[in-house]
Amino acid sequence: MLKLISIVGGLGCWHFLAVWVINDSVLLVSPLVVIAKGYEMLFVTADLYPHLFASWWIFFYGMILATVVGVPVGFLMALSPLVRDYVSPWMTALYTTPRIAFAPVLLLWFGIDIGSRIAIVFLGCVFPILINSFYGMRVVSRDFVEVGRAFRLSGGRLFLKILLPASVPFILAGLRLAVGRGLTGVAIAEWFGATEGLGYLIFFAGQTLNMPILFVGVAVFGVLGVLGFQILKIIEDLATPWKKELEAK
Amino acid sequence: MHRGLYSILGGLILWEALTRLLLENELLIPPPSSVIRSLWRMSLSGELNRHLLATLFEFASGFSTACIVGIVLGYLMGRYRWFDELMDPWIATLYSIPVIAFVPLIIIWFGIGLFSKIIVVFKITAVAIMLNTAAGIKNLDPVWLELSQSMRLSPWQTTLKIRLPGALPYIVTGMRLGVGRAMLGVIVAELMAANAGLGFLLRDASETWDSPKLFVTVVLLAAMGMGSFTLIKKGEQRLAPWRETAEW
Repeated sequence: MLKLISIVGGLGCWHFLAVWVINDSVLLVSPLVVIAKGYEMLFVTADLYPHLFASWWIFFYGMILATVVGVPVGFLMALSPLVRDYVSPWMTALYTTPRIAFAPVLLLWFGIDIGSRIAIVFLGCVFPILINSFYGMRVVSRDFVEVGRAFRLSGGRLFLKILLPASVPFILAGLRLAVGRGLTGVAIAEWFGATEGLGYLIFFAGQTLNMPILFVGVAVFGVLGVLGFQILKIIEDLATPWKKELEAK
Repeated sequence: MHRGLYSILGGLILWEALTRLLLENELLIPPPSSVIRSLWRMSLSGELNRHLLATLFEFASGFSTACIVGIVLGYLMGRYRWFDELMDPWIATLYSIPVIAFVPLIIIWFGIGLFSKIIVVFKITAVAIMLNTAAGIKNLDPVWLELSQSMRLSPWQTTLKIRLPGALPYIVTGMRLGVGRAMLGVIVAELMAANAGLGFLLRDASETWDSPKLFVTVVLLAAMGMGSFTLIKKGEQRLAPWRETAEW
């Protein structure tokens, strides 16, 4: 109830501010205008979709690539101290550097094509996935492993039947974290030399002082972030039903 | 530890050798030696100082203001349910929208100078600290509150001596989350519109195809990121030694 009041009240204040106080469509527009513009772009002129799809493919490829690379490398680092010691200083450096720093370098290497954009998204997504796979494999309960040993499982079967399923929840949590970072990556990637995509839309609207489109772009990013997070949460619940039972107990 | 050192040294030597042997010009990947030379030249001419100071100043002022505002509002959110419910929808929305999406808006509102970057850092960090402070206040061990009652502490003392120290580990976690995102935000803002700062340098170097300079900037940003990360991690370990802190 209070939440509803807060949302309606906030939108009301925003409308009041935009229409009566500032009254300058270059600085701020009323939420009503934004909603109308969003409706128009979605259902009337439908010119939001090309941007949406362009961004979606970059995001999709980047995310897949990050999973394909991140999970095995994380596992390797967890299983072999040698790999861990050699890889981790480079990883720390790459992970803690603000990702935007690599964007011009990647652009230099891959050109202003879709390749460099996917690389930027990949760089954002790969670390949460890698780190979570690493921890997932590291913290597998010793009891589980001993049960496997007692049943004389070979190394491969131990991995497939015990280590892998036990680290699934961690990997999924990593994917969930990666969604947000991937979206930021999409926005960064489309800054440079793109001609379509949601990041391009926001950038272009900012440059041309087109407030309604700018707000629509920001809102779409917000909706996608929440949506991606929720979808992965549902997948997480489906893939790890035992976790829910534990919580219930 | 030794292996880490070997790995870095080996990587650098390999990089130097490969770039010297295989690449004819330095455009794509400059060897480490020319990156270091460029760094030296830039620090002598004072160019480096100017940009580094601008970014650090923006970051420090935005971050410190965000800490104060974030802790106060987060405390109120943790203490009073109605305030929490009032703030929550807006804070959650702000938090889930990528930082980058806001930057054009903030630049239009606050101009291309230092101030707009301070606002970017402030917005990002304040939200992270607010959410975490609220969680810390809410999850306070009730035994501590009973203790404060039996010691007859005034409400003001309870806040200062029990509630805030109890929430401190959470607050530091909020700061850690804020640092990374805020650094990204400030660089993006400088990249879009600025006349000083590391983001500006990044843009300048990439537009003039000055690869050694570009790599100097990347290395500096990496150093800044790693430095602040290590600092906060150390702080977290001191404030909450019972908690297992992440390696990364």
